[in-house]
Amino acid sequence: MSGADRSDAWVALRSLPMGEHVEVSDGERTWTGTIVPHHELSGDRILQLKLESGYNIGIRIEPGFTFRTLAESNAPPVRGAPVPGGTVPRSATGSVVLLTTGGTIASRVDYETGGVRPVKEESEVLAFYPELEASGAVRIVPVFDRLSEDIAPEDWPTIAQHVVTAYRDGAAGVVIAHGTDTLGFTAAALSFLLADLPGPVVLVGAQRSPDRPSSDGASNLRAAVAVARDPRIGEVVVVMHAGPSDDRFAIHRGTWVRKMHSSRRDAFHSQNGPPLGYVVDGRVELGAGVRPPAAGPPRLDGPMDARGGLLWFYPGLTADRAETFSKGMRGIVLAGTGLGHVGSWHLTWIRSATARGMIVAMTTQCLEGNADPYVYATGRELLRAGVLYLGDLLPETAYVKLLWALGHSADPKRVEELLRADRVGEFRDRHDAGGPP
Amino acid sequence: MKAGLEVHQQLATGKLFCACPSELSDDVTLSFVRRLRRASGEGLAIDPAVEYQASRGFSYRYEAGPSNCLVEMDEEPPHPVNPTALDTALQVALLLHARPVDEIEVMRKIVVDGSNTSGFQRTALVAVDGRLDVAGKRYSILSVCLEEDAARKSGGSDAEVIYRLDRLGIPLIEIATGPEITSGAEARAVAEEIGAIVRSTRRVRRGLGTIREDLNVSIEGGHRTEIKGVQELRLIEQYVEGEAARQSVLLGIRDELRRRNAPPVGTVATEVTDGFADVTSGPLAAASRKGPVLALRLRGFADLLRSPPGTDERLGRELAEQARSIGLRGILHSDELPGYGVDAAHVEAVARRLGLEREDAFVLVTDGSRERAERAIARVAERADRAREGIPGETRDPLPDGRTRFSRPLPGRERMYPETDVPPISVERARLERLAESLPESTAARRARLVREYGLSEEIVRQLAAADALDPFETLASYGRSPGAVARLLVQEVPGVALPPGIVEFEPSVDALDALLAAAEAGRFAKEGIPNMLSAFAGGAKDLEAALTVSGLGGMSREELEGLVEKVVRENARMIAARGGAAFSPLMGDVMRAVRGRRDGGEVAKLLREAIARSNPAA
Repeated sequence: MSGADRSDAWVALRSLPMGEHVEVSDGERTWTGTIVPHHELSGDRILQLKLESGYNIGIRIEPGFTFRTLAESNAPPVRGAPVPGGTVPRSATGSVVLLTTGGTIASRVDYETGGVRPVKEESEVLAFYPELEASGAVRIVPVFDRLSEDIAPEDWPTIAQHVVTAYRDGAAGVVIAHGTDTLGFTAAALSFLLADLPGPVVLVGAQRSPDRPSSDGASNLRAAVAVARDPRIGEVVVVMHAGPSDDRFAIHRGTWVRKMHSSRRDAFHSQNGPPLGYVVDGRVELGAGVRPPAAGPPRLDGPMDARGGLLWFYPGLTADRAETFSKGMRGIVLAGTGLGHVGSWHLTWIRSATARGMIVAMTTQCLEGNADPYVYATGRELLRAGVLYLGDLLPETAYVKLLWALGHSADPKRVEELLRADRVGEFRDRHDAGGPP
Repeated sequence: MKAGLEVHQQLATGKLFCACPSELSDDVTLSFVRRLRRASGEGLAIDPAVEYQASRGFSYRYEAGPSNCLVEMDEEPPHPVNPTALDTALQVALLLHARPVDEIEVMRKIVVDGSNTSGFQRTALVAVDGRLDVAGKRYSILSVCLEEDAARKSGGSDAEVIYRLDRLGIPLIEIATGPEITSGAEARAVAEEIGAIVRSTRRVRRGLGTIREDLNVSIEGGHRTEIKGVQELRLIEQYVEGEAARQSVLLGIRDELRRRNAPPVGTVATEVTDGFADVTSGPLAAASRKGPVLALRLRGFADLLRSPPGTDERLGRELAEQARSIGLRGILHSDELPGYGVDAAHVEAVARRLGLEREDAFVLVTDGSRERAERAIARVAERADRAREGIPGETRDPLPDGRTRFSRPLPGRERMYPETDVPPISVERARLERLAESLPESTAARRARLVREYGLSEEIVRQLAAADALDPFETLASYGRSPGAVARLLVQEVPGVALPPGIVEFEPSVDALDALLAAAEAGRFAKEGIPNMLSAFAGGAKDLEAALTVSGLGGMSREELEGLVEKVVRENARMIAARGGAAFSPLMGDVMRAVRGRRDGGEVAKLLREAIARSNPAA
């Protein structure tokens, strides 16, 4: 078949389906290849072809070019071949239940965006991680297929409910595959939303997508499954690489953990001290203070009230902007400087906000160490203005805990009490002299 | 025979996808361990080369140092392509009359041998359809690619391979020729010419390992084999001719197997461990052996595992390479038994156990791990089976002795998919025009000019180019040194220098060479002393005076020479009296040995003739 278009081959070429095998000519040189999707950052009139050699190139299709489609393609298929169908549904009893929410750990290369996209099918997850069940049955339950920046506070109870259901169905442990960007928020949220946990809830992610041979997804997942099977743990944790090596993983408490690097495998750190433990060569090694399992049954300790906010103070932040930001909110967490300070020009609006019953809580943007109002005059002024100091809570954890506390009471006094009280070991009363490892 | 080349030249532009220097370093500040997994390309089919590498189940240790950042550790996405490296690749494309593509897309080529922390090599096709003329013959240039170099192996064991990350990410220009090369000599000449063209950009790294060649060789009826990573240009001929010979032997074996109707090779091994309980020496000795002995029957292979008469290639070695590639010491096969501590009775017993017939052969494998021994049997069986079809497509490693060794199966196309972390690069016309205006003089034009300007022969200029010495030649000649002396120095004397023990490399500066030639011209020492002076510099002599002292060339005065000549003539007065002028030759030899290059030979001869004449006026 011939598709020669003397006036402008580009018009016809751009309408051809992906995977079409074509021969394009400018009169001098002929290119033969398979049409692959136009990269979103690719130039105008650029046809992207996969050549027989496997290389992709872009050809600028000028008026006067000719082309024809070829019957058969020798090039590799553009799309993945279909993978074997889903798993047979099995009982959760004794299995580890893997809840998938999307994220890099369950993403693959997407031609159209030029980036990675989450996979939707359970079978696709298994295709990536065929070794998943090496140490026992794993049941996969898809919850979302979103990158984690698209996971919002209203999604946290949904995930928590899946955990409750899994444990009620007899799961030995629960693993949640999640994008890493907001994994720390979700970990903190589940820490507060889940009560009477009979076993571990392990959040895990990947910093490298699973279509790469070097992906950390598989080794993180294996370590997470090992932690999920550990009978000594009854709390929400995050398991990720402890360093650049594929043989050591850190177990972080869900309320202590923060993503501290945009790309490293060991991006997740426990703030203010060591993590709860490590997985070394498949063995779970726990330190002191791990919360043991409850007798159960687990329950969802909701709801959350999303009318709370998190505001990072900076020298140019005016009182007007901060006040506007907090309009309509029942509470706000400030990430203040140093020991927990904001410019003294903020005192006025804070005083009137707290007088109206709004919660204004203070954390430190240093991320390590306590927010402490007693050392400097500004702190003492803020304390008098009604600011609630939240010690060494991470700003994100404080924000999540605020939404949870707001969901539990309409009374600001009660909300303050809930915020102050240690719920799941989120406060560290002792900061090791050695510092984080 | 048909052969094509892929020339890989490292660039000195800084790394391709990060801001690290393109320099090697022996400092190690951090090491870490990774395991690479199988991953598919765009389709889910797994490439045979990937499958093979992944089946080896290695873990990898990486050593990072001052030439590394998070990008080489695969802990940070690649930065945009280094623009200077891309300019250099485009310049090379223009020099080779190749046609740049309109938009360059960086691809990931899956390589899970651990040499890339990411598990893939980033590579981009820059230009196609070039040409190259060498010695009156035209060769096609199929492609010019820009890619990142891999990490280099720095050690390892059965279970772990260690890589140094300093080399990872250094830009490589890859130039692929068409399969128009028909001999080893042609292959070498084409490689030299391409090397000269790339170096003319003056943005390349120098020294051993900075230019590497892959040789694709096939013979009529054979299959393409890739000899990967040849660093020694002088061995190219040997590799190419040797591969042709190997393929020819394997085709002969295939024909014989077909004549014998050899059936497909089964993969089921028979355990024969107890049959070797009384072996006391060799690889099967019961005391040193730590695992089972497995035997594999090869139907129809009798006498085909050893070298055919007059050749050095044998199928037995190919089978052994398969076992070695997963960490075994090797194999034993029936064509080399009895031997290695195994006697005829053992052979007989194995043959009975396997039900061997007259035309059958067998292979014995042992290893501490039964699982690994079984994997070795599977590999050996597969390779033996391929012998019935001819020559397996494979990648082979070049060895320093000019032979090659199995490395892995030839990769297919499946292993490339787009590097989505790097946006495509549009090659704008303005950029190509700017580069075209600043192209270096073509190597052919430069050679013609050197012949014309300096009155050198074409052969000498070719040798200068092959020795990568055109730049120093022109510099020294511009300093006023004699072109002939400079050419001899660069083509013969420097490359041929006798290196003192412990010294492996000698790259004298142009200034040092200039001082050396100037001193020779001024008569500080005879030109015969240049090789000794170079050795002295190679050994670390700091300046000319030090080199003169070390080489013993300094300090022979005219008076000392005259004294020496007089002494020799005096001691040989009777011979001179008897033989007259014919005494000159033997005496000249004696004197020159004593002079050791410290004075000019012509001067010595003149003094000696005069002294002989004085001693025997009749002579």
